[in-house]
Amino acid sequence: MTPASDPSFPRASGQLPRELAAELLELARANGAEFADLYAESTVHTGFVFEENQLKSSAFSIQQGVGVRAVRGAQTGYAYADGFAAEDLREAARVAARIARDGRGGATPAFRVVEAAAPFTLVAPAPLALDEARKIALLERANGAARAADHRIAEVSAALTDLARSFVVANSDGCWADDEQYLSRLTVEALAIASDERQSGLAIGGGAVEAGYYEGERTPESIGAEAATIAATLLAAREPDAGAWPVVVGPGWGGVLVHECFGHSMEGDGIRKRTSIRAGQRGEQVAASGVTIVDSGVVPFSRGSFRIDDEGTPAQRTVLVADGVLVGYLWDLLNARLSGERPTGNGRRTSYRHFPLCRMTNTYIEAGPHSPEDLIGSVERGLYCKSLGGGSVNPADGNFSFQVTEAYQIERGTLAAPVRNATLTGNGNDAMLKIDGVANDLKIDGSSGSCGKDGQWKPVGVGQPTVRFTSITVGGTAA
Amino acid sequence: MSTASPRIDPTRLAGPAREAWCVGAATAAVARARAAGASAAEAAVDSGRSLSVRVSGGEIESLRQSATRELGLRVLVEGRIGFVSSNDLGAAALDGLARRAVALARHSTPDPANGLPDAADTGGDAPDLGLVDPALLELGAVDAIDMALRLERAALGFDPRVRRVEVAAVSRSDASVALANSDGLVRASSATGISAFVQPLADDRDGKQQSGSFGSEQRSLAALPDLEWMAGEAARRAVARIGARPVPTARAPVVMHPDIARAWLEEMYGAFTGSAVVKRESWLAGRLDTAIASALVTLVDDGRRPAAVGTSAWDAEGVPTRRNVLIDRGRLAMFEYDSYWARRAGTRTSGNAARAGALPGVGYHNLILEAGGESPEQILARIDRGFFMDDQGSYGFNSVTGDYSFQAQGFWIENGAKAYPVEGVTVAGRSLDMLRGIVGVGNDLRLDGAVASPTLMIAEMTVGGS
Repeated sequence: MTPASDPSFPRASGQLPRELAAELLELARANGAEFADLYAESTVHTGFVFEENQLKSSAFSIQQGVGVRAVRGAQTGYAYADGFAAEDLREAARVAARIARDGRGGATPAFRVVEAAAPFTLVAPAPLALDEARKIALLERANGAARAADHRIAEVSAALTDLARSFVVANSDGCWADDEQYLSRLTVEALAIASDERQSGLAIGGGAVEAGYYEGERTPESIGAEAATIAATLLAAREPDAGAWPVVVGPGWGGVLVHECFGHSMEGDGIRKRTSIRAGQRGEQVAASGVTIVDSGVVPFSRGSFRIDDEGTPAQRTVLVADGVLVGYLWDLLNARLSGERPTGNGRRTSYRHFPLCRMTNTYIEAGPHSPEDLIGSVERGLYCKSLGGGSVNPADGNFSFQVTEAYQIERGTLAAPVRNATLTGNGNDAMLKIDGVANDLKIDGSSGSCGKDGQWKPVGVGQPTVRFTSITVGGTAA
Repeated sequence: MSTASPRIDPTRLAGPAREAWCVGAATAAVARARAAGASAAEAAVDSGRSLSVRVSGGEIESLRQSATRELGLRVLVEGRIGFVSSNDLGAAALDGLARRAVALARHSTPDPANGLPDAADTGGDAPDLGLVDPALLELGAVDAIDMALRLERAALGFDPRVRRVEVAAVSRSDASVALANSDGLVRASSATGISAFVQPLADDRDGKQQSGSFGSEQRSLAALPDLEWMAGEAARRAVARIGARPVPTARAPVVMHPDIARAWLEEMYGAFTGSAVVKRESWLAGRLDTAIASALVTLVDDGRRPAAVGTSAWDAEGVPTRRNVLIDRGRLAMFEYDSYWARRAGTRTSGNAARAGALPGVGYHNLILEAGGESPEQILARIDRGFFMDDQGSYGFNSVTGDYSFQAQGFWIENGAKAYPVEGVTVAGRSLDMLRGIVGVGNDLRLDGAVASPTLMIAEMTVGGS
């Protein structure tokens, strides 16, 4: 099966004739909106769940439709139609147009196709190139490996979910762009039970990957074994000591920390509306010197990467913080225009049913000079967080928290007992200033992340090298 | 064979006409699935309209109108399950979907517990539960915009230190859903919804901001709290947090604001599901009919509470809902099941099938911890020194162990009253210890969504701070 001929994946590009697109944009601006855009999408999801040693469910879903946005000043009108029937689309355009009521529209200039180099290309994207039987075989292998990794593994749930998305975006400035995106994710959750104790471990692989990824970079066996090892390790873990401690966070997914407690505050909507503490801080020291923070939509094979964003702007690498100093923000079209900035390719939406928001792509801390061993070795007593779970921030007040899924006590510079149920908390206003060591082992996790904002979920990548914080408040039951 | 006409747009219909359209589409999908080789099939079709408004600075920030239709089709082929969903309900698309569902099912492992609900479980009445509010059907964009503007204005007018409102939003919806299966079961219903949310920001020192919020979701306009009152509550909470600081680490009594208590209930719910019990993933497994909580605690899942957000007459498999008592004065009284997990556990469904993506799941309707007799002030008055928690981070619950560890904001309590605002702390404990340690249940139960709790006082937890 090749992507181009797969009949199960109808492309959006063939569904929206340019003459109709021009007519819809005109309708959307008929009452005086300054800007309008269309987002036509066709997305296919498949999902398989393997648990209790059996394939529990197989699922397929297809969603197709077009969203129409009309913008006047800082105001957005939005409506959409399921499917591509011309009359439904005209109705959506008329509804969106109502955001403006005291003006006249204008014609859309001839469309010109957005030229943008692909950050990477997939020859045989996993969602299309693997058939059902091969996807299920991956789950069986992950399940087997997890159960074999430790005799205390009592249950394993393995899921493979993927999507193929095709979209076209056209706007009243004459922009025309289309793209296809392919994401695959293999998730294994293992439950370990020993006498009265039960613990679970989670491991994830995937990204915007080739079918061959699961035979090379990350096999289902390695994902299954990792989940099982975490669960088994936690059986013997102790509760963390609550209080403020030096904390070292491991590479890769640990970057969820910079995503939550810094990245969100750099999104253009909060900057324009000045609800973010970072508004007006360009040129200021916002992180410790030696800390460089980047948002890049062009990281190869990551969930957070794309050729063009959901508004037709090419993806780019944006430096947010250079050596501790704030140098740039993230911008979508609307907030960039209202703020006199240049869009940075951060306009993203969950589907045609949503209007775009300013969102991160792959956000990470660049590598530093230290070795990870040196960073851990310098801590007298503290916590090493090998992997974090979910994290959240309240962008308004900066309070953040992270669930720590696998951690170890640091005693006199070496890793000691495993620790469970730790929570990290602090305030994003000063968290990046508390970094006092950045290692040279940068890893970007392009497999796992999904970021929620205003009810819209979007795949993202996060990353960092091993990073040491002078002090973070650790939550736990031991006091 | 009835066929849904693709030329009729169901989203432009309302009430009975839209229900009838959904029923037609669902029965057509079941028929196609049978024709494609399914031994049994179940289809759910929903269609609805919604309108969401957000305002900022006295102007509309966004106005979004939705009109959706969606089909979910579950097929059985000799004990194997396949699931498809789509928003294209045209005849040709239905045929393709049905064939795909059957083909997918052939990949699954046969399981004798798979199947439609037993006929003995699907009978019963479908009373009017007050889920449709005619006033909401009439509520247009102009009305919703006006409501959102009132929220913003009232929040800004509450205190000079409230100078910005991060969110002032109102949305309304009306939808119909139909369920049909190859045993001839047909169910249909409609519901309306309204929600309002406001989050003002108060200026703190050094350019810092504090936020407070209030949100409510209801089935009828009349049930929505007064907008100015909601905005005032949110603004009061933001202003009260000015100057918040950490406290030293301590073991102390913790009072949970209803928002915090209901978030905890929602996290704990998984342990009450038959699926978690059968898979040994529940920290409550093996504790049926034992005391798992203080005698002050009665927890119910009421699928038929009139006009409530989680109410429906039947569950996602067409089984009538009921009022299930999960914790009866401290005793674990039951787990909840859909028909698959009930068969696996050797029991009967409790009317808790939920439609959540691919796997048939177990879910609650209205999860409510019943009110006690004390006012929140009376509860606080009992505490010499402790922590009142009224905001938290999103992650911090371990569903397998019930371990609880959240970033928290709130107030330090001294001598029976709130002394000063606190942030930058964590609150941790084990759910079983916390349930048993509940020594106060407030009389302030209100339903602003499908999960609700009054104020709770827990005898001792770990507050992690500076």
